[in-house]
Amino acid sequence: MMPKILLIEDNEMNRDMLSRRLQRRGYRVLTAQDGEQGHVLARSENPDLILMDISLPAMDGWELTRRLKASENTKHIPIIVLTAHALVTDRAKAFEAGCDDYDTKPIEFERLSEKIESLLAEKKLS
Amino acid sequence: MNLQNLSIKGKLMLITMLTSSAALVLSSASFLIYDLISFRHLLTLDLMSQAQIIGYNSAAAMAFRDEAAATATLSALTAKEDIVSAVLYTPDGKIFAHYYPNGTPHPPTLPILSQGTGYRFEGGYLEVFRDVLLNGEHVGTLFLQSDQRQWSVRARRYSAIVGFFVFISALFALLVSSQLQRLISRPILQLENTMRMVSANKNYEVRATRFYSDEIGRLIDGFNTMLSEIQHRDTALQRANDELKTRTRELEGEIIHRKQTQEELLKAKHAAEDASRAKSAFLANMSHELRTPLNAIIGYSEMLEEETRESGKLENQQDLRKIQSAGKHLLSLINDVLDLSKIEAGKMGLHLENVEVGPMVEEMVTTLQPAIAKNANNVRVRIADDVGVMRADATKVRQILFNLMSNACKFTDHGTISLDVSQSTMEGQEWIRFRVKDTGIGISPKQQEKLFREFSQADATISRKYGGTGLGLAISYRFVQMMKGRIGVESHPGQGSTFTVYLPVQVTSEMVEAAQLDGANASSAGSAQNKTELDTILVVDDDPAVRDLMSRFLTKLGFHVVAAANGEEGLRLAREVAPAVITLDVMMPECDGWETLRRFKNDTALSQIPVIMVTVVDNEAMALDLGASNYLIKPVDRDRLAVLIEKHRVPRHPTSAESNSSSRPKEEQRPVEFEVSRRT
Repeated sequence: MMPKILLIEDNEMNRDMLSRRLQRRGYRVLTAQDGEQGHVLARSENPDLILMDISLPAMDGWELTRRLKASENTKHIPIIVLTAHALVTDRAKAFEAGCDDYDTKPIEFERLSEKIESLLAEKKLS
Repeated sequence: MNLQNLSIKGKLMLITMLTSSAALVLSSASFLIYDLISFRHLLTLDLMSQAQIIGYNSAAAMAFRDEAAATATLSALTAKEDIVSAVLYTPDGKIFAHYYPNGTPHPPTLPILSQGTGYRFEGGYLEVFRDVLLNGEHVGTLFLQSDQRQWSVRARRYSAIVGFFVFISALFALLVSSQLQRLISRPILQLENTMRMVSANKNYEVRATRFYSDEIGRLIDGFNTMLSEIQHRDTALQRANDELKTRTRELEGEIIHRKQTQEELLKAKHAAEDASRAKSAFLANMSHELRTPLNAIIGYSEMLEEETRESGKLENQQDLRKIQSAGKHLLSLINDVLDLSKIEAGKMGLHLENVEVGPMVEEMVTTLQPAIAKNANNVRVRIADDVGVMRADATKVRQILFNLMSNACKFTDHGTISLDVSQSTMEGQEWIRFRVKDTGIGISPKQQEKLFREFSQADATISRKYGGTGLGLAISYRFVQMMKGRIGVESHPGQGSTFTVYLPVQVTSEMVEAAQLDGANASSAGSAQNKTELDTILVVDDDPAVRDLMSRFLTKLGFHVVAAANGEEGLRLAREVAPAVITLDVMMPECDGWETLRRFKNDTALSQIPVIMVTVVDNEAMALDLGASNYLIKPVDRDRLAVLIEKHRVPRHPTSAESNSSSRPKEEQRPVEFEVSRRT
């Protein structure tokens, strides 16, 4: 069974485009459009990996990451955060919050899928 | 009272009186003395003539021893009050007759006859002797003694008169001098008074009155001249003082005014800085807002392109590629704006690492291929022999060169673009010089002036014709500045341009640590591009999963990875492969990480290889104490690992054996003069 990826993204076009591209790679994709919804799905669906935008309505990416990493049920799920701010602080903050990887928009799809595969491989090993 | 301290009036009067009195006393005394001497002489003569008369009259009585007659003769002397004794002596010296008006001889003992005729002064008395002769025969001697009563009376009277007149004349002198001293003392006193007034009231307008034109008059004149001089100076001084005060007040006003201006300027400066920051923040935000839709555009077009490729609709594929390339161009413009706003907002740091200049340049030229091909240009690259490794922000150096080269390509058509890289020493520092020369349209002197400023493409028509934001050179300029280098241009319109960049071989920055975390793009993309040469990394970890993960990750970064399961094996492998960096797990059975680290550092062949400790416990102090170059806490942050490996790996000289890997076929041909030929 192909890995299940939870994509949390508030921008409809980006959400649609990314989910379709991931599906084309064969992943099963769940989508959420805000932090709250993402949180619920992460707990109920137990995805193999979470891909999330950092600036989300309802609950932002930082907060969501902290919550997921704080919970016994979800802390094993690798998280990749996506941000359009290519600034120093975001990157440091991402790792501080407990993210497993980090990428910037606009997404270079090949680079991103490498990161996804690498994290999934890591997860399988551990 | 001391005479010297007497008032001038007193002194003058005293002098006058003393002088006049002394003169009077002296003259009176001399006159008195003369008078008394001559009077006594008269008295003596008189007494002697008396004696002659009495001697004559008594001669007969003496001769006949008529004592009574002799006494009677002597008694005639009663008329003479001053005769105190009259005695007639016989020739044998006995008293024959005598006359004592006071009853007793005075002196009680009569003097012994000493001589015949004569006189003498004896004991305040005048004594006269006279031989009594009768017909030439000596019959006795007459002795008369006078108390000179007339003389002493006269002397007393004269003295009284002299004294009286001296007194009177002194009084007169006092009167006269007290009047006359004013001639001298009045002007002096007045002068003194004036001086006191001047010094007491500081009033330099008063003047001393001049009475006479003598020395004092001249003194007063001099004093008055002095006063007016002082008054003049005082006035001038006062005026200067007033002027100074006015000036001071003016200056104070000026200072206050300037302070206000300064504050206003400062406020304006802060406002301008705030505005500039706000502008930069706005630009950063804007570029973020622009990136989101661009993300969708590029993403969808890529996806569609894949789909069309699969379904074989080739005509659509071309158009989709155009959308993609336009999107990517737009993205690069946005990135330029973001770069510039980051520089301006002070958020751009330096990420220093050791860079091999040759491979970096070659790789940059490779990525430039499409631009070179577009205008059918020839590119010649020359890298001097001595150019090796430099320590700099590789991404920024690459961006600078890329900018200069792509500009050269853009503005040159069917021409030649050359890039010369050399190393030199200037001002005691080692520099790498990059020189980009083209045969393109050139730049006029006027355009050169604003070449490195933001949004100032040489000509407005240029952006229409050639495209671009005009930010490339401005960003390059800022990057060169950040690395404390220099950039310059030499060009003539129609004759091509030469851009020269000097960068220190060892770029230093206080912001290195902060800069290491700067931008995911900078570190991951940067290091990925730089792995043309296969550096070996030795991973020592007892966990096979970790070994596998690290190997995969590092291989992806372009490193050759050798893994060891324990310290012993690690040491052996390290000697074999001479890795650029060793990562060492702390928690291992048998020989633990610390012990292994100690053995690495004690081995002369291995001690220079940087060791990065990988640990679950934060024990930085111990790691660094034992000689580790850095440390990482598990779970390993791969980006940080990449940064640390980049930072510490031993720079390889291109001529060293290991670096001649298959990916670097041109290595032995240095100095490289390779040509990148046009593709179209």
